[in-house]
Amino acid sequence: MTIRKLMMASTAILICGGPALAQNVDWATELGDWSGTDISMSTITDPFIDSIERTAPAFEELTGAEVAVDGFGYDALHERQLLGCSQRDGSTDILVIDGIWMGEFVEAGCLDPLEDRIAQNEALIAWDDFTSTGAAQASWEGTRYCLPVGIYYGLLFYRTDLLEQAGLDVPTTLDELRETAAFFTDNPDYPGVYGYAMNNQRGAAAGQQYFEWIFSAGGSPWASNYLGAEDPYADLTPTMNDETSVSLVQFFRDMTAYGPRGVESFAWDERATAFANGSLAMINDWSVRAQIANDPGTSQIAGQFAAAMMPHAEGARTVSPVGGWVMCLNAHTQQKEAAWDFIRWFASPEVHTDFVLEGGPPSRVSAMQDEAVRERYPWTVQLDEARQNAWGDVRPRHALTFQLIDTVGIQVNRAIVGEVSPQEAMDTANEQVTEMLRRAGLL
Amino acid sequence: MATSGYGERHPPVGAASAGAAPARPPARAWWSTDRFQTAAFIWPTCVFLLALTLFPFLYSVWLSLHFVRLTTLSRRVWAGLQNYIDLFHDPMFHAALQNTALLAVTSITLEVVIGFTVAKVFYELASRRWVNGLRSAYLVPMMVTPITVGVIANYIMNPHLGILNQLLGLVGGEPVPWFGDPTWARISVLIVSVWQWTPFMALLILAGLLSIRQDILDAARVDGARWWHIIHRIEIPSVLPVLLLGIILRLIEVFRFFDLVYITTRGGPGNSTMVLTLFTYQQNFQYFQVGTGSAAAVVILILCIVVTAFAVRLLRKIQDA
Repeated sequence: MTIRKLMMASTAILICGGPALAQNVDWATELGDWSGTDISMSTITDPFIDSIERTAPAFEELTGAEVAVDGFGYDALHERQLLGCSQRDGSTDILVIDGIWMGEFVEAGCLDPLEDRIAQNEALIAWDDFTSTGAAQASWEGTRYCLPVGIYYGLLFYRTDLLEQAGLDVPTTLDELRETAAFFTDNPDYPGVYGYAMNNQRGAAAGQQYFEWIFSAGGSPWASNYLGAEDPYADLTPTMNDETSVSLVQFFRDMTAYGPRGVESFAWDERATAFANGSLAMINDWSVRAQIANDPGTSQIAGQFAAAMMPHAEGARTVSPVGGWVMCLNAHTQQKEAAWDFIRWFASPEVHTDFVLEGGPPSRVSAMQDEAVRERYPWTVQLDEARQNAWGDVRPRHALTFQLIDTVGIQVNRAIVGEVSPQEAMDTANEQVTEMLRRAGLL
Repeated sequence: MATSGYGERHPPVGAASAGAAPARPPARAWWSTDRFQTAAFIWPTCVFLLALTLFPFLYSVWLSLHFVRLTTLSRRVWAGLQNYIDLFHDPMFHAALQNTALLAVTSITLEVVIGFTVAKVFYELASRRWVNGLRSAYLVPMMVTPITVGVIANYIMNPHLGILNQLLGLVGGEPVPWFGDPTWARISVLIVSVWQWTPFMALLILAGLLSIRQDILDAARVDGARWWHIIHRIEIPSVLPVLLLGIILRLIEVFRFFDLVYITTRGGPGNSTMVLTLFTYQQNFQYFQVGTGSAAAVVILILCIVVTAFAVRLLRKIQDA
């Protein structure tokens, strides 16, 4: 089904009401009695972890279960979850994984397919209400393995006060972005402010940055991955050393001139923190990190920033990257029923909206269009727009995804820090990725 | 017939008449022989060693001869020596080898020089009571776990919030991207490593210095030796064996160097701080490519054995001389 068809279906369901959003569920009778059961979950330490912890007590009250949420950094979570899986470890009942790890986790047998369980809970789960690109992150080869509860879209965040003072428009192209970033950097009228900071850190951060921007730069990372492709995985031949890719990496390198000292090793959190403490005029980041800048307790720019679509190259259009986290049932847990009760409760439209109001990333169309959510988090309007121009496979999602993105990220970072030229870096990346895929039988 | 009290099987001494075969010692049961008892005491250790060292090593070698991922061990494909060939064509492995060698040379050299200076200061001030406290305090970095050292270094060397750049700012200096620039990242890792391990070297050298007999030093002074003569002719030769031991231990440690770069740089920027153990870890537990990871582990082990054996031989030569 194409994205357009999925969007139309979702809209029709929203307009007509219908089973998708049949809520007012009597959870007390719907859920089992899990008194004395400890449900454990491992997830990323992104800002939504606090929102999970604030939402989960309602489930504990309903069922008597205790829910423990363990947070880890990006690489550490991937390592811990897959290592546990390789040892058939069932001590963590619920795995919250990055959607792009789906192929790897399915191949390793870590996840219980949810098709039957979802079929038995159609109305409760309202699958079509999930954003279509978010729902795609929770599925692999036509089977639904997880529920997409923490879906992000890439947005440009900018300081409204600074751009207004400077009389500048929000940049919409890469050239405008560079000019605006240059304007603020080392400008005596804006002391302590730098123009922009990108995700340059070696490994996953820089690798993901390449994939997040390549479509908006007018390119594509591999042969069969183009917007609207029926099967983006039909031909994985990498095209990472073509002119567009090399120009994009050159752009990353150029943009380091407009970032704070050490920007070459910045990743998601460093950039979000620098933006929140007022050091940056603009960043692009996953939507979930807007919460860091929005918290008056920790941010110096709360209420002074807004969101827009990520810029694009001349002649191209913005393709919003989609990412985020999906909630899955550990195939090795002994507490599948209790864990599934939590997952279906947590992902239901009603509870999801509560989670979003607590600061969680909206992953359902209904939550994105909820007035209370939009009022509390104004960037939700742009998020809803981003979901409509997003492409679900900007990053690969097969079994070698983690290694592939890390490999690309090492080479992109080498170019950014000047160890090699962008052309050399991307030639090496292309060669290494080709060999990796060939050896795994994916080419 | 009267018996000797030894029983029938043991005729009395002298009973053997001339010309008869000499008396054989009494035969012992097989379980009471020295040979059996020695083996009985040794075999648990042998089994323990086989199970905990030889088996994992052989298993690693076997894995290194396959293309295999940890998550799909049953789907392994025989690779022969291809993983080793790939390893030596991998620019990241080259960088890891170079960085490890560079770190070993620079770090250990600095530790020896600074360690000797510090040990000499403590040695000269040994009679002062307050020096004991100072000496104990100086050993603290060595006792802190490397992970903690990495976390502390991250805080201190943070380009924006770290105290080091704040202090530099106070004296008019430009902020330094400690872990953000390839050259600075190498220097920063070196600084932290030297800070942590110099006390170890100083402690060893101090022990060596304290073992020098006072009458030798007195005799040298009476003969007109100046301080540099004493250092050159007496102190350095005296501490040399213990110094070499320290260098060997540190060499082994550098081959295992992991925690600090894992916490602070993850091998970056670029490949500027990639070291052998981090490379191996990355292959095994981030990419789950245990074939390549095992090959790297085997190479590290061989390198470690060769370097250590060479150093031990050198130590013996110096001791014999």
